[in-house]
Amino acid sequence: MVTRTVDLRSDTVTKPSKAMRAAMANAEVDDDVLGYDPTAFRFEMEMARIMGKEAALYVPSGTMGNLISVLVHCDIRGSEVILGDNSHIHIYENGGISTIGGVHPRTVKNNKDGSGGKCLPVEYIDKVGELAKKHRLKLHIDGARIFNASVALGVPVHRLVQAADSVSVCLSKGLGAPVGTVIVGSKVFIAKAKTLRKTLGGGMRQVGVLCAAALVAVQENVSKLEGDHKNAKTFAEGLNKIKGLKVDVTSVETNIVSGLVVNVKNVD
Amino acid sequence: MVTRMVDLRSDTVTKPSKAMRAAMASAEVDDDVLGYDPTAFRLETEMARIMGKEAALYVPSGTMGNLISVLVHCDIRGSEVILGDNSHIHIYENGGISTIGGVHPRTVKNNKDGSMDIDLIEAAIRDPRMEICYPTTRLICLENTHANSGGKCLPVDYIDKVGELAKKHGLKLHIDGARIFNASVALGVPVHKLVQAADSVSVCLSKGLGAPVGSVIVGSKVFIAKAKILRKTLGGGMRQVGILCAAALVAVQENVSKLEGDHKNAKTFAEGLNKIKGLKVDVASVETNIVYFDITEGAKYHIPRTMQKCGRTWHTFDARELIQSNGLGQ
Repeated sequence: MVTRTVDLRSDTVTKPSKAMRAAMANAEVDDDVLGYDPTAFRFEMEMARIMGKEAALYVPSGTMGNLISVLVHCDIRGSEVILGDNSHIHIYENGGISTIGGVHPRTVKNNKDGSGGKCLPVEYIDKVGELAKKHRLKLHIDGARIFNASVALGVPVHRLVQAADSVSVCLSKGLGAPVGTVIVGSKVFIAKAKTLRKTLGGGMRQVGVLCAAALVAVQENVSKLEGDHKNAKTFAEGLNKIKGLKVDVTSVETNIVSGLVVNVKNVD
Repeated sequence: MVTRMVDLRSDTVTKPSKAMRAAMASAEVDDDVLGYDPTAFRLETEMARIMGKEAALYVPSGTMGNLISVLVHCDIRGSEVILGDNSHIHIYENGGISTIGGVHPRTVKNNKDGSMDIDLIEAAIRDPRMEICYPTTRLICLENTHANSGGKCLPVDYIDKVGELAKKHGLKLHIDGARIFNASVALGVPVHKLVQAADSVSVCLSKGLGAPVGSVIVGSKVFIAKAKILRKTLGGGMRQVGILCAAALVAVQENVSKLEGDHKNAKTFAEGLNKIKGLKVDVASVETNIVYFDITEGAKYHIPRTMQKCGRTWHTFDARELIQSNGLGQ
């Protein structure tokens, strides 16, 4: 007997809320490639402020957010980037930093506390930032779910990313916007990012339609993430009680439940 | 005394209509990266049908449409593409096919009508026997309408001839059809016939057709399957993109018929400009929605203020300035 369907495909499938639909319908728009879309401008200013960086740039996806960030920091041929062997950039982005950007990856083993929606604490990030500075490297944070981390850790998001030169933040996942990600960083960095965005084909015209929804997402839905985390915990505990399934419930920190072990013999 | 403002910045500044706003507000959506957005599916199916190709793919911009097309046709390292020396791909797309895609361009002179001489195209095709030092030609690109020539239409016979040449040498043919509907309307040729010889076409919905965002690439199923992966790689995979596709569907269903009015307005505008002392327009050369004019000596001091109002930078050393009629048609 099905009482209600819960869509567990991913937090990428979130649909725009009524408020978002209304915002999109009324959005003031113009040609963003020429620099005239007021809603894109307003949204980018707000994201820069929230993240504590100088400037921001709206892009169609997290993949493009990371691709642009890596390629701008590594704009000289012969560059290498250090990243986790189990990171999204390395595993799920078509190897674009290399195939498209000519940047060489150097992977370092990700520990268990780097997967399953786990939060990196602010002290750890600050330490990595110091290491980067010591060796004159840049630090980029793939912050697709940075707000989930901020809420779970109880650390303001601008503090969490203080040590980073750039961050890529998804609006289209748990925050629920239909499309897009924002890159934040210095004015100089964002200026280069804007050109590369155009080059990759991410320059959209009356994009204020999408930015209006993204603005609603970041203004209204960050507070709802705590509820998502509670639901994920409840879900994990429930799964764990089912004969044949086993979940490490303590490892569930945010909105992702993983590490599910299924003993086929014992499942009905 | 200003009675009405006409925005002449470009046809890229067209804003979504009421019908588009309504369609966007009520669009049925889902995750298009996972392949579940029904509105994106509907737009792509419709565009493939209209263009007479097997499949279609919605992308955020014409730049990405062309970039993906060139890179998919030229996916083997060491490729070369033949294109016009005054083509949009070569001049206005940040050289992305090379800087991002590693493809080498071989330009052929664009004539005033936007075409390239067929014998010059053929002469530019690399002899495979010289592969020890030659890149391998894999693709020819045409642009219809041709923007930098003033929105000129390439006739269907010409395109078919270039298609035959491509087939003869085992090459692919891509058409940058950002304004292909303008060409179709101006020539009176159904759009699917106009692009029949092409392996792929990139079509803008966001220009004269008025959608807020996007282009569509059309081609074979195999081509589009590869294009989809490259779109993801470049970062063009959008989630609940049906919102934008809903507006694009309205654009292609309702606004193609309005292009003829745009062309008439452009002609009227050209004739009017030509009457102004100090300005000169070759009115006969205005075929679609783009108007070029010359500033003659003695008139320069009037123009900078006018151009600044239009939001364009005035280059005093360049007497030719481009004005593109947009699609408001009021």
